[in-house]
Amino acid sequence: MLYTPDPMSEPFDLLTTIEYGGCSSKLPAGLLSEVLKEFPVITDPNLLVDVSTHDDAGVYKLNDETALIFTTDFFPPICSDPVEFGEISAANALSDVYAMGGTPLLALNLMMFSNAEIPMEVFGEILRGGSRKVEEAGALIIGGHTIDDHPPKYGLAVIGTVHPGRLITNAGAKPGDRLILTKSIGTGALVSGQKTGLAADPDYRRALDQMKRLNRYAAEVAVKYQVSGMTDITGFGLAGHALKMAEASRVSFRIVTGTIPLLPGAFSIFEKGSIPGATFRNLEFSGARAHFTRNVNHTLKMLAHDAQTSGGLLMSVNPDHASSVLAEINEADPESGAVDIGEVLSESPRTLYFE
Amino acid sequence: MKIVDTKGFTCPQPLIMLKEALLETETGEELTVYTDNDTSLQNLLTYLRDQGVEPRVTTSGKVHTLVTGRPAASTVEASDPVAYCSTGPVNDDFVVCIKGELMGEGDPELGRTLMETFLDALKLQEKLPTHVILYNGGVKLATKTTPTCQSLAELEELGIRVMLCGACIDHYGLQYGIGVGMISNMIVITETLASAGHVVYP
Repeated sequence: MLYTPDPMSEPFDLLTTIEYGGCSSKLPAGLLSEVLKEFPVITDPNLLVDVSTHDDAGVYKLNDETALIFTTDFFPPICSDPVEFGEISAANALSDVYAMGGTPLLALNLMMFSNAEIPMEVFGEILRGGSRKVEEAGALIIGGHTIDDHPPKYGLAVIGTVHPGRLITNAGAKPGDRLILTKSIGTGALVSGQKTGLAADPDYRRALDQMKRLNRYAAEVAVKYQVSGMTDITGFGLAGHALKMAEASRVSFRIVTGTIPLLPGAFSIFEKGSIPGATFRNLEFSGARAHFTRNVNHTLKMLAHDAQTSGGLLMSVNPDHASSVLAEINEADPESGAVDIGEVLSESPRTLYFE
Repeated sequence: MKIVDTKGFTCPQPLIMLKEALLETETGEELTVYTDNDTSLQNLLTYLRDQGVEPRVTTSGKVHTLVTGRPAASTVEASDPVAYCSTGPVNDDFVVCIKGELMGEGDPELGRTLMETFLDALKLQEKLPTHVILYNGGVKLATKTTPTCQSLAELEELGIRVMLCGACIDHYGLQYGIGVGMISNMIVITETLASAGHVVYP
C-alpha cells in the first residue's frame, strides 16, 4: 500500500519515523572489535591501510601515483528536514576520504526507504541534499541502491584518491606534535536535547549547520602541511577516536578538557542529565585506557564521549606548523573554530590523559 | 523519603529525572529511584559513582530499586554565588614533586623505606595533591612490580595525575619498564609546577 498524503498535513517530519530515545544507531565499539578479531587479517602489498589500525577508510595503491580510498557510512534520520538529513549524511560519509588526506572522486547512494510509510517526495529531497554535498566536494554520484525498509536510512559509499606518498593515516602521530580539533563537540547532546526539549532552537540550528559542513577546507590545509596523523570524530566520540589514533600511532595523548570547543547549549543539556546512551557506551569503551584527573568536570568528561555526527578532524601537527595550520584552517573555513586541544606524548601506560 | 519513578521511561529521561530530584535533595537525605530498564540502571550507576556516591541496588522482577544519597560535590553547591563572594581566588591545590628514589639524606636503605611509606600514606590524606611529578632518579619509583608503582597506581585511580619525566626514563633506559604514570616532558612539568598553589618535596 502506498503512503497517501493528507492534503492538510504539514511537511513530512523525518524524526517521527524513529523511536523516541533511540540514542544512537552505532554498535558498541567493544562488541565490534570482539567480532572483527576473529576474521583473518588480509595482507596485500598494495593495501596501504587495512582494518587493523581502525582507520577511517581502506586504502589501496593502484600505482606509484594513485591510491584509492574506499569508505561508506549511513544512518537513520537525525533531523526533521529531508534535504538537511541528506546533506548531513553525505558530509559525514565524504569526511572519511578527507580524514585520509584524499579527494572524493565517485559516490553511490545507499538508501533504505519505504514508500508505504513516507511520501516519495521525501526520497527525492534526501537525495537532493546528498547530491548538493557531493557536488560541493567535487565528486560524482554514479548510481546507488535502495531497499524497502523503515525507518529510513541514507548514506554514501565513496571512492577518493590520494598520492600514496601523501596519504595521512591515524597511525602517524608523533610525540611532541600538537593536537588540533576542527569542529566543536556536542552534536549528540544537541540532537538528544532537541528530543527532550532542552535544546534552544538557535543552538540546535547551529549544530545542524555544523554537521552539514564539509571537512574539505580543513583537510586541504592538513594536506598542504602534511600533518603527521589525522582522523575524523564521529560515533565513538572525541575520546574514542583519539584513543584509536593514539593506539594506532603507539603514542599517548594529553588533552586539556577546558580547551575542547563545545557547541553552545551542549554543556547545559548534559548538565541536566540529557545524556544519550551512546555516551555511556563510549565511556565504557575508553575504560581504564583514559585517565581523568579529579578536577575534570563530570559533564566535560561525558561530553568527551558524546557521539558525534559529521564531526571535525583531529590532526596531529608538528609543533612548528601548529599556529600556521590553525590560522589557515580558520581563514579557509571561518565557521570552523579550530583549536589546539593538547599534545602527543610518548607511549605511556595509559593512552589518553585528560585534565 | 523522596521517590523518583522512571518506570516506562528510556534513556536519557531517567537520568534527567534523577538530576532534577537531586537538586531538591538535602545532604544526608535519601532518594529512591525505580527503573525497569537495565541500560538506564547502568547509566544511573555510572553517573552516581562518578559523583562519589555508591547507591544500594535491589532488583525484584523487572524493576530495579536504587537508593542513593546526595553527592557531596553537587553542582548546586559549586554554582552557589556565595562561594565566589569571599576573598578572591585562592589556589590551595598542591603538587608533590619527587626528585629522587630516596626520601631524605643519610642511610639509603632507610631513604627507600621512607619513600615507600610516604607514597602509601599520601592516598590517605584528606586533601590530596593534584599531581605527583617524578623526575631524575624519581622515575625509578614508577617501574613495574615495585611497591611504589602500586602506591602510585592507587593515587592515579583517585584521579591524581602521576607525571613522569620522559628524558629521565630514556636516560635510565626504563622505556619498557614503566608501570604507571603519564610520560611527559619538561614543558608540561614546568607549567604544572609554576601553576601549583604550592609544591611538596618529600
